[in-house]
Amino acid sequence: MTRNRIIDVPLAAVAVLVYVSLYLPILLVFLLSFFSMRRGKVNWDSFSLSWYAKLFENDALGEALWNSLLVGSLAVAAAACFATSAAILVRSQPGRHSARLLEYVIFLPFLLPPIITGLSLLIYFREAGVGRGIFTITVGHTLFVSAIIYRIVLTRLNALSRNLVEAALDLGATRMQTFRFIILPNLRMPLLTGGLLAFALSFDETMITLFLSGTDATLPVRLYAMMRVGFTPTINALVTLILGFSILLTVAVALAWRRNAGPAGKTSREGRT
Amino acid sequence: MVAPDADSRHEVAGDRTPLLRIRGLGVRFQDFEAIRPLDLDVLNGEFLTVLGPSGSGKTTLLRTIAGFQQPTAGRIEFDGRDIADLPINRRPFNTVFQDYALFPHMTVRENVAFGLRVRGVARTTRDARVRDALAIVELEDLGDRYPAQLSGGQQQRTALARAMICEPRLILLDEPLAALDATLRRQMQRFLKVVQRRSGITFVFVTHDQSEAITVSDRICVMRSGRIEQIGTPRDLYYRPQSRFVAAFFGASNILEPCRIESTGEATTMVSTPFGTMRVDGPPPQVREGLALAVRPEALVPAADDTCNRIECEVVSVSFVGSETITELKHPEARHVLTMKTRSNPSARHPVVGSRLEVGFDAAACALVKGAQE
Ligand SMILES: Nc1ncnc2c1ncn2[C@@H]1O[C@H](COP(=O)(O)OP(=O)(O)O)[C@@H](O)[C@H]1O
Ligand SMILES: [Mg+2]
Repeated sequence: MTRNRIIDVPLAAVAVLVYVSLYLPILLVFLLSFFSMRRGKVNWDSFSLSWYAKLFENDALGEALWNSLLVGSLAVAAAACFATSAAILVRSQPGRHSARLLEYVIFLPFLLPPIITGLSLLIYFREAGVGRGIFTITVGHTLFVSAIIYRIVLTRLNALSRNLVEAALDLGATRMQTFRFIILPNLRMPLLTGGLLAFALSFDETMITLFLSGTDATLPVRLYAMMRVGFTPTINALVTLILGFSILLTVAVALAWRRNAGPAGKTSREGRT
Repeated sequence: MVAPDADSRHEVAGDRTPLLRIRGLGVRFQDFEAIRPLDLDVLNGEFLTVLGPSGSGKTTLLRTIAGFQQPTAGRIEFDGRDIADLPINRRPFNTVFQDYALFPHMTVRENVAFGLRVRGVARTTRDARVRDALAIVELEDLGDRYPAQLSGGQQQRTALARAMICEPRLILLDEPLAALDATLRRQMQRFLKVVQRRSGITFVFVTHDQSEAITVSDRICVMRSGRIEQIGTPRDLYYRPQSRFVAAFFGASNILEPCRIESTGEATTMVSTPFGTMRVDGPPPQVREGLALAVRPEALVPAADDTCNRIECEVVSVSFVGSETITELKHPEARHVLTMKTRSNPSARHPVVGSRLEVGFDAAACALVKGAQE
């Protein structure tokens, strides 16, 4: 018992220390987005939402945040279509050389150093005469995040019995109906998780974006640029917003998983004797 | 391949016409011939079982009929029409898969309704027909469950209801009972048979279990290495195997070989075996070389005065296994050990190990089979 305490007390102390050092800065940022601080003490009377208002006024950060959300959504949507088609194609023709090649093409932008991907795209767009902006960033991010969605979708497809597709065709379904009624419903969760992961990747992608953003900067690029001139307290409001948003998303996904795991995840109640 | 003998056919065939005519059908994977060109008629309304050991090409044959697998030779006619160009979803056949392939995200009801839904059948008709189908397979109360919430037998019946809902002309079943335990399996065998009789749908059923095949089938097609070894009624195959392979598959463990023909009559043949000369009743054999005589263990009995085929043996072992007693016998001239299976009888004297015993079998209770294996 005493022995346990000898181990437990320092262990608890370390745990507390770790959590405090992890979360204290976040708590500080959270407080600073609402209150002002003087000589290391929070001034509790100074509550105001002015930094949030500033963020949504014509602030460069607000615009960058909007750009990031836009690029993320577009890239995830495009990558989801692309990756899903590719995964279905590869799954239906396993072992084919063309399937292997397609797989490499999808994984390459994810595996290459971002600086190479960014630079190649930059050169390509310049030669093609495409002006840098939201469009070029979106293309870059689509290439970058396709791999992650592809991987997750393919894993799910591989877990599905190949017989399901054959069973659907056997029962008279067309290829289109098989996709709509059998494949797609089973891809809902992988697409959701893959999409969120891809969105997160896109949200903090910096290197490729640096090469491809003209005047339309995304959030990381803008923050990077701001380092030279110093931050305004709007940044606290921004971080708090992103934090809140992330927590919401995590909870939403957890709920979705739980609901989805309901019917299919349960094991036989009758039991197979 | 051995041609099915004439008298074995009419017992089932009657006025039935072939639903499927398979001619010269072959399937090869690269340089491996999974199905060697074969002919097969599937009769309208019959329960045909394709029986064979693992790897003999049963699944490949079934998948070729269903349309999942392209044949590399030959053709399949359905109702007299070549169906080579008919895509899977337009063939009036439905399949029950070995792993059932139930759609995991749909309830039992939705699974069963699927065939009607993709055909655009109106909701009210659909519901009524699903209810009927679930009643047939006795799953009325489980319509709202998901497949993962069902036992093996219930999943199996769901798969059957789903395959039957569109009233196909033919249902293909690939080892549908393999995953069930023994009791449930026997129950499902009877159930399948009843459903098939009542619906009148032709069943082509794949299994590697000979007792299952005997229980459910009108006819059995025995496959071996991509060939059809023999087709016939369960009785034919059991009592009149044409090859050593079929005889062994149906549990005839006594193979007397080598075996030479001494004389042939219209309905009897005299053959010489290492155990002596034996009389065999039945039509004369089609080949004269490489024959063996197959005698079922239960056909072998202690010789009585009127037994025509007699063998003088020494008793090697006697084992009592409940309803039956199994006696192993050895003939001084032959290396082979004979197995005799007799009904146990509390008052009967058992043979004593080491004693001499004269056993025999009826001329009608044995079969001349092709002995040599290619
Ligand atoms: N897609 C395939 N590619 C190559 N060989 C195959 C394929 N499908 C089956 N085979 C081979 O064909 C033979 C017969 O297989 P199958 O029809 O599944 O036998 P069964 O169902 O009687 O056990 C096996 O030797 C198997 O390895
Ligand atoms: Mg098989």
